Amino acid sequence: MLEFAAQVRTALEAQGFQVVQTRQGNANPSFDDRSAMANAQRAAIFVTLHIASTGVPGTARVYVMNDIAPGTDATGLIPWDRAQAPFVSLSRKLGDQVSALLAQRFKGSPAVAQTASVRQLRTTAAPAIAVEISSVTVDDRAQLDHMAPGVADAIARGAAAFRPTYVVPANPGERP
Amino acid sequence: MTPRWRFWFLGALSLAVVVAAIYLPILRRNIRQAAKLQQRSEEQARRELTQPTVINPSDPKVKAKLFWASGADDGTVSPVTVELPLSNEPVLRAKQVLNTLLAGPVDTELRTVPSDAALLAFYLLPDGTAIADFSEALGTSTPSGIQSEQMAVDSIARTLEANVPKVQRLKILIHGQEMETLAGHLDLSQAFPVNANAGSSRPRAAATPGPAVANPALTPAATTVKLTQSPDKSATKP
Repeated sequence: MLEFAAQVRTALEAQGFQVVQTRQGNANPSFDDRSAMANAQRAAIFVTLHIASTGVPGTARVYVMNDIAPGTDATGLIPWDRAQAPFVSLSRKLGDQVSALLAQRFKGSPAVAQTASVRQLRTTAAPAIAVEISSVTVDDRAQLDHMAPGVADAIARGAAAFRPTYVVPANPGERP
Repeated sequence: MTPRWRFWFLGALSLAVVVAAIYLPILRRNIRQAAKLQQRSEEQARRELTQPTVINPSDPKVKAKLFWASGADDGTVSPVTVELPLSNEPVLRAKQVLNTLLAGPVDTELRTVPSDAALLAFYLLPDGTAIADFSEALGTSTPSGIQSEQMAVDSIARTLEANVPKVQRLKILIHGQEMETLAGHLDLSQAFPVNANAGSSRPRAAATPGPAVANPALTPAATTVKLTQSPDKSATKP
């Protein structure tokens, strides 16, 4: 997974993005730790990578959170457990951009982002997507390795295409 | 001690030895039996907890829709109509359909939940929130991954949706505990809406926690700036 992440990092940097990895080496930060790292960034997008145990080998899917009720807080702060709520539509735009590129490259992959209640995405206050690659059941690990450059390129190009539509609030903590 | 008392003492001692020799094996056997009984009652309790709800043949036969994998290997589920005698009582009915779902389809390849998972308890609150408590196997034996985890939840939620109209939301517990995720990805901390996705055109592979609401519109205000290719923007990833 870290090798995949390294390739995604390189591709994003080639598109001019600054990349912060929430996991380094064998460390296994909690969901909240990762969200805290992401939420501390300004004008960020969040991409979480997974290799699935199921699915058609050689395909990749993008997931975004479904609609979640934004919290009503008198202070105007976004409740932690609903941090993704104001970003759902932006996440979909980003997810659809990346999905379309993945579908072009990996036959059988969905052309639009799918919705799922991914725990990691819920507490992330940024446009956020989960990219899942199928699968660990491939006979030869090289099959997965061959997918890495294509997945990295699709994420980076999708993020670059999404960039002009991402309107970032001027003040930290403001909703998009 | 006089010879007479010595005689009685030795006699009593010999009798005690004989009685002990007879009683000890009986005592040992009783202890073994008691241990076995205790073990059996624990097993019995566990089996009673996990035993599928008995289907009462006198209940009216209904065409129940059970959602198993569609077979397309894309994480979707599809309904299979099964004729079952189902109770009209919602909790019992929910237990009956979920236990049938857990028993699995004829084609085991289409199974959505692990074969060793069991429904431990099912409650229905007055507001329509269903609480389904599954054994640990649901979490430990479901293949890890967003697609497989959401397929498991989707098959449960949609089976309830199709057969128990009173269920509005579904909260999943594992062995009586609230879990953060099912098998590492799918969020179990909130209730899944049931009957809440009609009309949605976006692909849905699983019900998503929380009430469905309209998206807040993306309204660029005067105080916003556009993300540009400057060094201070960040992309984060694991």
